[in-house]
Amino acid sequence: MSVPLEPVVMLPALLEFPFREGYVRSIIYVSLYVSGTAVILSTLFSIPVAIVMGFADFPGKQVVKAIINTGMGFPSVVVGLIVLFVVSNQGPLGALELIFTKEAMIMSQFVLATPPITAISLAAVSGVGDNVRDAARALGGTRLDVALVVIKEARYGIATAVLAGFGRAISEVGSVLIVGGNITSASGISKTRTLTTAIQLEARQGQYNTALVLGVVLVALVLAVNAVVVRFGDEGAMNR
Amino acid sequence: MIRLAGVSQAYGDQPVVEDVSMSVEPGEVLAIIGPSGVGKTTLLRILALFVRPTAGRVDVDGDSAWDVDEDRRLALRRKSGMVFQEASLFDATVARNVEYGLRVRRSWDDRLRDAVRSVVSSNGTPEAVERALAAVGLGHKLDQRATSLSGGEAQRVSFARALAYDPTYLLLDEPTSDLDPRNTGAIEEAVLEARDRGIGVVVATHDMHQAERIADRVGVLLSDGLTEVGSAEQIFEDPTDERTRKFVSGELVY
Repeated sequence: MSVPLEPVVMLPALLEFPFREGYVRSIIYVSLYVSGTAVILSTLFSIPVAIVMGFADFPGKQVVKAIINTGMGFPSVVVGLIVLFVVSNQGPLGALELIFTKEAMIMSQFVLATPPITAISLAAVSGVGDNVRDAARALGGTRLDVALVVIKEARYGIATAVLAGFGRAISEVGSVLIVGGNITSASGISKTRTLTTAIQLEARQGQYNTALVLGVVLVALVLAVNAVVVRFGDEGAMNR
Repeated sequence: MIRLAGVSQAYGDQPVVEDVSMSVEPGEVLAIIGPSGVGKTTLLRILALFVRPTAGRVDVDGDSAWDVDEDRRLALRRKSGMVFQEASLFDATVARNVEYGLRVRRSWDDRLRDAVRSVVSSNGTPEAVERALAAVGLGHKLDQRATSLSGGEAQRVSFARALAYDPTYLLLDEPTSDLDPRNTGAIEEAVLEARDRGIGVVVATHDMHQAERIADRVGVLLSDGLTEVGSAEQIFEDPTDERTRKFVSGELVY
């Protein structure tokens, strides 16, 4: 089978935008909602963990570090499978009926995004010198003030961590396919279909043009989020 | 007055400071002189309530600092400002750095309100920040990024940062050891101005000439403890302790 990827063939595909009304928008919404929520939750969880890991000594610290590092390479389909068991009817969260919902997808993406966000934030936080922490304390800062100074000093590293987590979440196929089910409503509006699962489906059905257009949208989204986060970091630096 | 009584500090089995008793009053400059590695920095960290000594008592204005609750200890800690050998400025503007001590002393409500307001407009620079920077001759550097300053300017900003919230005590750890004479002069001048405003200054230095220039009283810290504390004149002209005499005359080589 020939693959119609020549520019001449692609152009009409781009111009005609061969999708039902609202279809692409709903896929983008689901992708951003699921990945964005998962990354926000991961960040809220990861930064305090990184601060504690960076500055406190406690028994089992090396074990926690090893778990985080292992988590960075954890196969997403296995995460999807575990979350599927947890939210399935017989699983511990079965009563919540989360299977094939966005919430289940957020859970699996949270598990996937947390290790890179924690590990990169930890590296950034550990890179802030003791002298900066001492200065904050010497000027009358409480423990919370010192932690905030450390976060501000490590902001570029933390922004990188958030981007890495977002990148992993939004480009992920395996687990969201398993726990989300790649579902659209009867009217063709996405319920749990993301850009990645849509691309996977379109490509499998031989709709390469459609898959490619969705791919372009995905890349554009990632670039846009990158630009916003980097810009935000720069402005924050001037105002702190 | 900050008073140490029989203070010792050890890290593991290694004693760093042993049985030190001394005090500093508001409105005086006390220089702690001694060679490197005798525990001058540790002594300052004890005075700043950074570390709890392994033995002895630290009183700040009549309160035994390690026998009061944490809130009270924070209040006692906030009476002092400390300047380190390294400037250790935050990656922000000079004004934001100098304002830090004032900011952390405000209530969270006020701080959040300021943070929200700063999104739409500038909150302006507090007068205390301008005054502190003027005291070290850097009033014109308010909006410059701290990372773009020279080493000497950074240390002067670091001094202004500790001065801005008007502490009762200033603890300076080798504040001029990496600086050229001009920047050293600016800091020494600011130290004397701070003393004249009623601030009690403790400066740890290995530079005996600096101690002679700025100190009212001098304590000599050698490897076997604080050998003598007295007026600058007495320590340099007529020390009573034999080890002090050898150190100030340069005979005692470490």
